[in-house]
Amino acid sequence: MTARWTYVIREAFIGLRRNLMMTVAVILSVTVSLTLLGASLLLSEQVDLATDDWTGRVEVSIYLCDDRVCPAITSEQQEQLREDLEAQEVVAEVFYESKQDAFERFTSMFADQESLIEAIDQDTLPASFRVRLENPNLFNVIADQFSTYPGVEEIVDQREVLNQFLRFTNVVRTAALVVAAIQLVAAGVLIANTIRVAAFARREQTGIMRLVGASNWYIRLPFVLEGVLAGLIGALVSWGLLWATVPQVAGGLAQDIELMPFIGEAQVLAVGPWLLLAGTGIAAVSSILALRRFLDI
Amino acid sequence: MIKLQNVTKTYKRGADDEVIALADVTVDVAKGEFVFVVGPSGSGKSTFMKLLTREQLPDDGEIYVAGKNLATLRPWKVPVLRREIGYVFQDFKLLANKTVYENVAFALEVIGRPRREIEKRVPEVLDLVGLTDKANAHPHELSGGQQQRVSVARAFVNNPRILLCDEPTGNLDPSTSVGVMKLLDRINRTGATVVMATHDQHIVDSMRRRVIELESGHVVRDQSRGVYGYGG
Repeated sequence: MTARWTYVIREAFIGLRRNLMMTVAVILSVTVSLTLLGASLLLSEQVDLATDDWTGRVEVSIYLCDDRVCPAITSEQQEQLREDLEAQEVVAEVFYESKQDAFERFTSMFADQESLIEAIDQDTLPASFRVRLENPNLFNVIADQFSTYPGVEEIVDQREVLNQFLRFTNVVRTAALVVAAIQLVAAGVLIANTIRVAAFARREQTGIMRLVGASNWYIRLPFVLEGVLAGLIGALVSWGLLWATVPQVAGGLAQDIELMPFIGEAQVLAVGPWLLLAGTGIAAVSSILALRRFLDI
Repeated sequence: MIKLQNVTKTYKRGADDEVIALADVTVDVAKGEFVFVVGPSGSGKSTFMKLLTREQLPDDGEIYVAGKNLATLRPWKVPVLRREIGYVFQDFKLLANKTVYENVAFALEVIGRPRREIEKRVPEVLDLVGLTDKANAHPHELSGGQQQRVSVARAFVNNPRILLCDEPTGNLDPSTSVGVMKLLDRINRTGATVVMATHDQHIVDSMRRRVIELESGHVVRDQSRGVYGYGG
């Protein structure tokens, strides 16, 4: 390593040590903001993962009449409907779910909620065709064409249920991102202030450096590096925190909720570089801004 | 080596309150000269020195130092200019947590000189200022005269073409001052141009070098082999 890098790195570490309390404050503040940022990024990952999985599985439900709302569907009408559905290009698969099947699915889904099960009997839930589409966005093609068929009571896009879930998670994710952004700005201001204090503490030294002809970056780099190191440590700590907690939490949820895939270690690993980039980036920018006027020629 | 052409510098103290630090100053210093800049406090000596290192720019006029026109010198080139200039302060400005050796080496380190050169050059300069045996001492262990010699060593270690000294004997007693002046004289004899701002009458009178006298920002006298005051 050449003499100039030895100097820059040595000075940066001297600065960090001399200003230990401020350094700790900077690291903590970066840690908190980046942990939030990482958590919201991981939440996005989770939502994307669940959405991908669900859109593959969601179906269009075509509920059949059973004399309560409209005259019960005849077996000829039902056969016709199935044939026409299967003839559609956008349709991937058609299942028939009888009243009996629907009742069984409901009771297994709400097995631990007896009051719900007691409220219905085998005749309550309508029979339906459950249609899986090649492209779930083409729901309208089916709805337009089959809602007027005789014996069809209602056509429901199951994605609506998913959309409600997505709207909720979007709100949570946006809120987390906003808080993370505010925290990140606060961390940046704290870093700028710390670097300013460090530069002021060494103004005698930098004054001499200026007069003997040290170049601008040579004077500033130790201070910028000081900020970047603090940012880097904060980013590493937040990555470690996410690494230690997120796979555990997701694993626990995965045991309770079997319907949904969950993120794991791979996603936490993947978010790390972004945290490091954000931590060092915000530190570098705020350090440089802090020094811009302070250490001018 | 140094040339000021009709240089004027004013400072704003308020909206309509301007202080003239230098007014229409024209000075030419040749290579290898030893020049005293004298005058009472507030006469413009400090401004004169600050303009030469381009810490400040003049309002009017042109300044050339070591062949560079300071008005058109790009900011990123300023460090290159300053490597041609050694600067000695009245209050030494040594770094208290560094040894004598480290203080002198610092000036080379921070302009990115290779370690080999530093290890060769610093002992040479310490020998020149007569402080070889104090290399590992810290500034507070030295007398004022010794500290100023360290400061001179630091200013000269990079072999600058110009040595600027701002009241280098201002904090020293007369007998110690003589030692520092002998050192500056020796450095001048190696070919370096020395410009020294001072109001130390005895030193100016005993050296008999060129004297530029400032008063309220004007050059009132420019005399070779001069003394501090008229008829003094």
